[in-house]
Amino acid sequence: MTNTETTVRPDAPATPPDDPADAESYAKAILNMLDDVGQEQKRQGDSQRAMLNILEDLATEKTRLESTQKALINMLDDLEVERRKVDKTNIELRELNEAMRSFIATAAHDMRSPLASMVGFSSLLAENWTTLSDEKRLKFVTTIDRQSHNLTWLVNDLLTLSSIEGGMLNTQPEQIVLAEAIRQCLAANGRDTTTVSVSCPPDLVVWTDPVHLGRIIDNYVQNAFKYGEPPVRIEARRRDDASRLSDMVEIRVVDHGTGVPPEFETKLFSKFARADIPSTRNKKGTGLGLSIVRGLAEANGGQAQYQPNAPHGSCFIVLLPTDTGSRPKDERSHR
Amino acid sequence: MKAVVIVEDDPDIQSLIETIFSMDPRFSVVGLAESAEHALELAQTTQPEIIVLDDRLAGALTGVDAVPQFKEAAPGAKIILFTAHADLQARVVDQPNIDAFLLKTDTGELLPLAQQLTNMLSLL
Repeated sequence: MTNTETTVRPDAPATPPDDPADAESYAKAILNMLDDVGQEQKRQGDSQRAMLNILEDLATEKTRLESTQKALINMLDDLEVERRKVDKTNIELRELNEAMRSFIATAAHDMRSPLASMVGFSSLLAENWTTLSDEKRLKFVTTIDRQSHNLTWLVNDLLTLSSIEGGMLNTQPEQIVLAEAIRQCLAANGRDTTTVSVSCPPDLVVWTDPVHLGRIIDNYVQNAFKYGEPPVRIEARRRDDASRLSDMVEIRVVDHGTGVPPEFETKLFSKFARADIPSTRNKKGTGLGLSIVRGLAEANGGQAQYQPNAPHGSCFIVLLPTDTGSRPKDERSHR
Repeated sequence: MKAVVIVEDDPDIQSLIETIFSMDPRFSVVGLAESAEHALELAQTTQPEIIVLDDRLAGALTGVDAVPQFKEAAPGAKIILFTAHADLQARVVDQPNIDAFLLKTDTGELLPLAQQLTNMLSLL
């Protein structure tokens, strides 16, 4: 039995009647049958349209799901990027913690050393004053004096860094003849142009805090002797290029040591930075010096920079304004 | 006379330790060194009873790293680790070759400590 046969009404004869009288009823039956077929076709058409609608809906849903999938994939990509950022930050925080721990240990060590001398020699003086020779007493007192200055220097470094970090650094800029300031700074630290050669135009003027300028130059020169090799040279000039920093005064302190490892250059002016290389390994120091230089330079509207010195050695640079007008615009309101 | 070798790269502290030991005539400072490398040679030749040893020194070797070599060079020496690094104490507490630990700020205890150690009193 076929499907078509099941839709034919039971009163329709299977073959045309021989009697014409039955023809009318036969025709009706045929018409009924055709009507049934038409209705069936309509029903099937409706079903087909419904199926097509469902397919369309499914296609739309598929597109929507694909778009959601893409959004999720993008979201996962973004999350992965964020996760990497968090990992990087975690690594940086761990490094900073380690640097801080190392700094605290070093600072405590560097404070205990002068304290040990001061406490030890003052106790010796107090307990043995009458039996000590004048020469010994003078030697002990001189040592106490020197070590108290070392301790003062260290405490000042810590306080200066704290002021810089807290935005509390008091800057009192004035016009300074640079050549004279360099000479005074070298003399105050027991150096002169025989140990440090200086090239600076006599009329070159900077607009900066004189105490900060002295700290910057002294810090650079001390570093050059501590970590570099002589000859040490100071070069100063007014920049006359077309850059944003034109009209600034550039002071360069150059040594001829092994220089800074390239991988350490980006960390050079960071707090607690000390490269683990032979030239620093056995040198005492908190790693605050260059960080302080950068803070002082920036507080005075300048910049601290580093360049390798060809063919070997280091060149530490500070850029300072020549007058109030030459400070880079976005730094005039600094602190 | 008890021989003392001082291993210290800070000249002021070196002078301070030397002066402290000069207060007791039973001690004699027989050698001063700024590096462990130099001090090992001194220890070998002078065979001191006391070695006052800093950790961070002028040479490549640290004081703590050099301790086993000091014991080899001078087996009878008592080693006092005399340092400004407080956190070293925890690191060396289990090292039998280090006989005593003293912070540099406690200079007043150095001579009594050396006196006790040379009388074979264990402090650790």
